[in-house]
Amino acid sequence: MKMKNMKLSLLAVAVVVAGLVSCGKEEVPAPPPTPTVSITDSVEIPFSTNHYLFYRFKDSAVVAAADSATTKWDFGLRFVSIIVNSHSSGPGNGGVITQPGIYDNYITAPTTGYAYDTTATQTGVDAGLTTGWYNYDDATHVFSPKAGQFFVIRTADNHYVKMEILSVTYAGFVSQTSPPTTLIYKFRYNYQADGTTNLQ
Amino acid sequence: MFRKFLYTFLAIALLIKVSGQSKPQEDSLAKLLDEVVVTATRTENKVSNIPLPIDVISAKNIHLSGSQNLIDILQMQTGLVIASNPLGTALQGYPNPFGDGIQMQGLDPAYTLILVDGEPLIGRNAGIINLGRIAIGNIKQIEIIRGPATCLYGSDALAGVINIITENPTKNSAKFQAHYGTNNTLGLTGAGTIVNKKMGIALFANRYSSDGYDFDKDIYGQTIDPFIDYSANAKLTYQLSDKSKLTLSGRFFTETQFNNYLIYPKSEAEIVKGKTIETDGSLFARFEHKINNKVTYLASVYATAYSNNASVFMQKNDSLYETIRLSDFMLRPELQVNIGKNPASLFVTGIGFNFENVNSTRYAAVDNLNAGYLFAQKQFQIKDKVNIIAGARYDKNSLYNAQLSPKLAVAYKIKPNFILKGSIGAGFKAPDFRQQFLNFSNSLIGYTLLGANELSHGLETLQESGQISPDINLSPYKENPRLSPERSLGINAGFDYTINKKAIAKLNFFRNDISNLIESYNLPFNKTNNQSIYSYMNLDRVFTEGFEASFSYKFNQHFSIFAGYQFLIAKDKDVIDKIEKGKLYKRDPVTYQTTVVTKNEYKGLYNRSSNNGNLRFQYNNILYKATAFITAKYRGGYGFSGLNGFQDGSGIYDDDRETVKGYVLLNATISKQIANRWELQGGIENILNYTNKLLMPNIFGRSYFINVNFKFEK
Repeated sequence: MKMKNMKLSLLAVAVVVAGLVSCGKEEVPAPPPTPTVSITDSVEIPFSTNHYLFYRFKDSAVVAAADSATTKWDFGLRFVSIIVNSHSSGPGNGGVITQPGIYDNYITAPTTGYAYDTTATQTGVDAGLTTGWYNYDDATHVFSPKAGQFFVIRTADNHYVKMEILSVTYAGFVSQTSPPTTLIYKFRYNYQADGTTNLQ
Repeated sequence: MFRKFLYTFLAIALLIKVSGQSKPQEDSLAKLLDEVVVTATRTENKVSNIPLPIDVISAKNIHLSGSQNLIDILQMQTGLVIASNPLGTALQGYPNPFGDGIQMQGLDPAYTLILVDGEPLIGRNAGIINLGRIAIGNIKQIEIIRGPATCLYGSDALAGVINIITENPTKNSAKFQAHYGTNNTLGLTGAGTIVNKKMGIALFANRYSSDGYDFDKDIYGQTIDPFIDYSANAKLTYQLSDKSKLTLSGRFFTETQFNNYLIYPKSEAEIVKGKTIETDGSLFARFEHKINNKVTYLASVYATAYSNNASVFMQKNDSLYETIRLSDFMLRPELQVNIGKNPASLFVTGIGFNFENVNSTRYAAVDNLNAGYLFAQKQFQIKDKVNIIAGARYDKNSLYNAQLSPKLAVAYKIKPNFILKGSIGAGFKAPDFRQQFLNFSNSLIGYTLLGANELSHGLETLQESGQISPDINLSPYKENPRLSPERSLGINAGFDYTINKKAIAKLNFFRNDISNLIESYNLPFNKTNNQSIYSYMNLDRVFTEGFEASFSYKFNQHFSIFAGYQFLIAKDKDVIDKIEKGKLYKRDPVTYQTTVVTKNEYKGLYNRSSNNGNLRFQYNNILYKATAFITAKYRGGYGFSGLNGFQDGSGIYDDDRETVKGYVLLNATISKQIANRWELQGGIENILNYTNKLLMPNIFGRSYFINVNFKFEK
């Protein structure tokens, strides 16, 4: 059934393309959407701390903890918890959707349906061990971000971003039997600077 | 994979056809099927009359191996694989709290019931019974039944049963063994049996110790800590009259492990030293009475206690750092009635009660589990050709729904030497104490684990102490959720074929469907420290399927071989569902490209090898009064989550970079009689010197031993 639908839609695309080619001169193509800024970045956070690390997408900047009550940051990280600048977390208009699927194929952000941080312990991103955004292996203590899952984030100042955490690694071992001092988060994101929902 | 499977089957089918013409003849090898076992019917019965896949390890083979460890003997059997629980901690100097268990038909050690003389061992740590608790010097035989045996033995017998039968006093005898090997391993065993007119006594004592070893000198603390084991068994049989018999037996085991490792209470390292003491004991009494030629009843009481105490002290000031305690006690009165005689027509029925009590530093309180059960099984024969066993067991428990576990097994003798066997049975595994009563908060990270029966109370306490925010509504958790037992349906089908007086072939196909697997999950809200709270619920469904094949060949009186092979597929049904819906993804750890996982990429559950094989050679030389005994185990490649740091975010085994390479363990032992009643044995274990320090810290490299044996019989 699925196959059939796909074939049908491919056919439809082909017909449309053929149409475009044949009478291309008469149509005025729409202005191309602004492409997003594509960034791969990583941040280091302490393994054990009471404070979030704050991050701003616009200029890939880590924001000082002193600015936690401002709209200068978009998302925060602490151990495996993720917050966005919204309600209980900050004054911004942030929101987040945990989106299943393939990152590269996701092209348009919705304007509604964003979750926000209701309280400090009920946040928009599920960071639970079994239901959360990562797999945890209790034999090796490895966290791996679940594949085929990423975040669509509305920033504190109403811009749209898609962001995928690529890896979480440990660093700063004193010895193998003690916990590490540092977690390294590697993530990529596409930021739309013009405020539209296009994420291509 | 399927092609390989098919070829093996065809090869075996061909073998039968080719050699099918020869007549069955009496021979010592054919007597393998005449061995008497008790596990399958709770009465003495010949292997050839039992329509179940059954293997027997004889005392002779155990003796010829010269080994001191039950697990090493079991893993040389077809389809039995050691499942390590490495946790990656042993190498770092920590004591390994769980040890190794036996995986049967691809199911974890928790799904195989371990019996000693028909009575269950208790005291599982993370589902695993430390098989080191069973000294092997007085084992008469080990019976292994594959497929659910819940219909006779209740909970845990999903994959099958391993029943360790100890020596009965049938003659006057005395034996002694001294064992010395690598790592300063010392074993001393003494045993004796005395029989007079009405009474028989069997006594057994063993001391076993080792210095352990250290794979990584740069890390403080040994990989395997030094230990000393003591065990003692006593059995008394008394013929009260021609119709009545009394059996009393007792078993005691204690192991002291000497722990010494580093901890990091703050950022500074501290040395802690201490002991882990594991004790296990049981008492058993049975009165057996023949009412008439047809009816016998057996009334028995079994009491067993297990405890595990680990205490470590800070080296700098001798203050107590931590104590972890677990104790388990069980009392089981049982009445069994046998009517008729096997194999023609035998009806066995019984009723029993379990009173179990568990106490642990990590459990909420002292917890009791009371259960009652009824079982009935009928064995009968149709025209000497068809053997049928039909039975069922009913378990009623205070904590979960009543369980009915039926079983049907049929054997058909196409020819006297060719027996087709098929069986289907239901099994269950009761939620364990950890899943029901755990109340544990991790001090380092701060998460909390609550057993299902502890959930409501545990959450309330956390909220009262301010660890759960007051605005979280706990009313949905007022009622504790009820865990259901894990259920299985097992099907086994195959044949035993005595090809001629020299060769026997056995084949068994199996399929196990397990549902209601209990898994941990996190609650939808966190503690105020932002850490999760976990509990347990029935979640997963898995299956295992494949076949076990074995072939024995006796070239002559002096030279014989045995070969076995298991093919296994073990998968999670919910994962397959997800893959079929295109909802499972993986992310290449190098390119970060995300793709949909396909059905072909899914290799199955972690820690299961598709291919396992075993070989055994035995050679007697009469001239030199010597025997060579060689065993080998091949374990094929298997998946290990996070191997070498590999992760692709799919949560399943779907990449070759997660495959641990297969390996072979090869052992050889030579026994030589040096004088009347005296024998010398020398052996090399793990001749190929295989090690995997991180994943299998319990496999030491090549090691050597010598035994001096004395045996007197009258």
